[in-house]
Amino acid sequence: MKKAKKIFETAKNEGRTFVLEHEAKDIMKEYDIPIPPYDTAATADDAVKKSKEIGFPVVLKILSKDILHKSDAGGVKVNLKNEEEVRKAFEEIMEGAKEYGKKKGMEVDLSRGVFISNFAEMGTEVIVGVTKDPQFGHALMFGLGGIFVEVLKDVTFRLIPLTKVDAEEMISEIKAAKILEGVRGQEPRDTQALVDIILKVSKMIEENPEINELDCNPTFVYAKGDGALVVDARILIGEAKADH
Amino acid sequence: MLCEQKADLDLFFKAKSVAIYGASATPNSVGQAIIQNFIKPQYTGKVFAVNPKYESVLGVKCYPSLVDIPDPIDMVVCAVPARLTPRVFEDIAEKGVKAAIVISGGFSETGPKGAMLEDEMCIIAHENDIRIIGPNCVGVIDTHTHVDTFFLPEYRCGRPKSSNVANISLVSQSGAFAAAIADWTAELGLGIGKIISLGNKCDVDDDDLLCYLGDDESTQVICYYTEGYDKDKGRVFFETAQYVTKNKPVLVVKSGRGERAKAAASSHTGSLAGSDRIADAAYRQAGIIRADNFEQMFDMAKALAMQPPAKGNRVLMITNGGGLGVMTTDALEAQDLSIPHPSRELEERLTDRLPSYCALGNPIDVVGDTDSNRYDAVFEEAIASGEYDAFVVGMLLQTPSLGMEITNTIANHQRRSGLPFVVVSMGGGFTSKAGQIMELMGVPTYATGEKAALAARALVRYGEIKYSSEFKKITV
Repeated sequence: MKKAKKIFETAKNEGRTFVLEHEAKDIMKEYDIPIPPYDTAATADDAVKKSKEIGFPVVLKILSKDILHKSDAGGVKVNLKNEEEVRKAFEEIMEGAKEYGKKKGMEVDLSRGVFISNFAEMGTEVIVGVTKDPQFGHALMFGLGGIFVEVLKDVTFRLIPLTKVDAEEMISEIKAAKILEGVRGQEPRDTQALVDIILKVSKMIEENPEINELDCNPTFVYAKGDGALVVDARILIGEAKADH
Repeated sequence: MLCEQKADLDLFFKAKSVAIYGASATPNSVGQAIIQNFIKPQYTGKVFAVNPKYESVLGVKCYPSLVDIPDPIDMVVCAVPARLTPRVFEDIAEKGVKAAIVISGGFSETGPKGAMLEDEMCIIAHENDIRIIGPNCVGVIDTHTHVDTFFLPEYRCGRPKSSNVANISLVSQSGAFAAAIADWTAELGLGIGKIISLGNKCDVDDDDLLCYLGDDESTQVICYYTEGYDKDKGRVFFETAQYVTKNKPVLVVKSGRGERAKAAASSHTGSLAGSDRIADAAYRQAGIIRADNFEQMFDMAKALAMQPPAKGNRVLMITNGGGLGVMTTDALEAQDLSIPHPSRELEERLTDRLPSYCALGNPIDVVGDTDSNRYDAVFEEAIASGEYDAFVVGMLLQTPSLGMEITNTIANHQRRSGLPFVVVSMGGGFTSKAGQIMELMGVPTYATGEKAALAARALVRYGEIKYSSEFKKITV
């Protein structure tokens, strides 16, 4: 909990309304939310060393207070299988960020280097998110990822804090719930692991109300017994922009 | 923590002496319509008029100021122009009155100038422990004490009555809806306990009334019309509702399914949320039943007021008309209710007691030539079997063989079993009369299968809320 407060303070001091990816993961780790192994590296050599420790394949992402949308700055390289690929990706990311800065007419801070994470095995994509409503306060969202959320908007909400029953209901009440039960010969998904993530996120928000919005997107859920992983997490802090 | 202001609100409904600030001798004026309500014989308290212009209004002695009234005053109804209200509130404070309903408009709903007046009034009220309903509202109707501040003449806006069976209370943000519903429920003959119009909610809000009505013995079902909540007030309402809904059903019609709040959100989740989806989730989580419109809300409220909640979701439909049976079971299915076929054992028992041409399934069709004895047999066996948690009874009275004793048969089985029943009876004059009789016996009666199915759904849903883990839910 203390760690989170410190992270929020750093962000505020830097004039950020978002939390850097490794910071987001640090907070989530405190709450025992399952995430792939990760680390950070400021140099190419360091990136190679850390990648080896984490285990290939890995993902590299730019870590900068000046960049929120990492892909726009060419700041994401996935499925890097060996040392050479990591080294090359690191250089490209740094170049891309500089270019991005030039285009925007600003100096991009590159001192933090990159975020490195194990490239998680593909699972069934779900999204767990949090938003802050001006009337009702924090609410948690759950839905399947991909077209289910983009096109069909097949998501469901509960106010935080949630009970276990709430979390179970959420998982079973989305229209596409059958997909998690296992269709077309696929094994049932580990919904218990999702209940677990939902409850932990709920607790995290309850204890850190500074968090304004959160997307755990994607979160991969695997076959029953194999758990789930929050692959990407975005945390926004500060006052809600949405206003009535 | 919860519901501590309860005692303060009593004055609004049980005031034994009321002063009308802005009472008027002008016919068809607000200030006259209100005083008319309080001089009706059913209101047994005292009423005083306040207006420097008059000696008396409609025979009620009129004082130049509140402080000139020698008697103690429980509640002030304020119907003076907005700009005068701060002065009126200084009088209220001096007189030591603790409850005021501000009917007048011209406050925060009109812009910053009005908002300043509203603040000024509220500060005086707050400093002197005066509770306010309004401003910009029609106030309250209490069908037991006959406190009635609706400035709508009774020949245009009927007044609902309380029922001996069970009463519904309504809290409405909109004054116009509150009035229309008073008028409409008076016509329908629904038992109403209290109607409260909240207006700008400068003090008393949805949550205060949820607390109050939650403990109010003359209210069995609480209904709300709301357009939204002030900042963070939705959360407070949600927290109170979590407690209240365990004891009493709460229904909400909320308008404004709008998407304004979404536009500014920067995360994925925020862009999908929208305030109405959050409100919907909050209602569900707190055990509040949301209705799409007033008609649905009162169809459900009527059932919840008259019948016990179901302890499970298995519904049996009994009918004397095949078409009505199929339509109603379709509607029950659409409401996600379980409509299981009778077990083989129950079917055998029913075969023994019914003519061979009756159709045994769900619905059970006792067919057009039935009298009440076949219904009696079905109720007896089906209730004894324990296979059903709620009953929907089709009662078509166009046939000559079905006598009025059917209403007794239904009511008796309902009372003895303690299981929830709803009746669907389609037809004209004779049928409506029979429906009224059925409701006097305590069983809600509807004109279509869809309405009856919605009512059954409400009884099942509230059972789920009330009994939570003990509720027996069969997955449909």
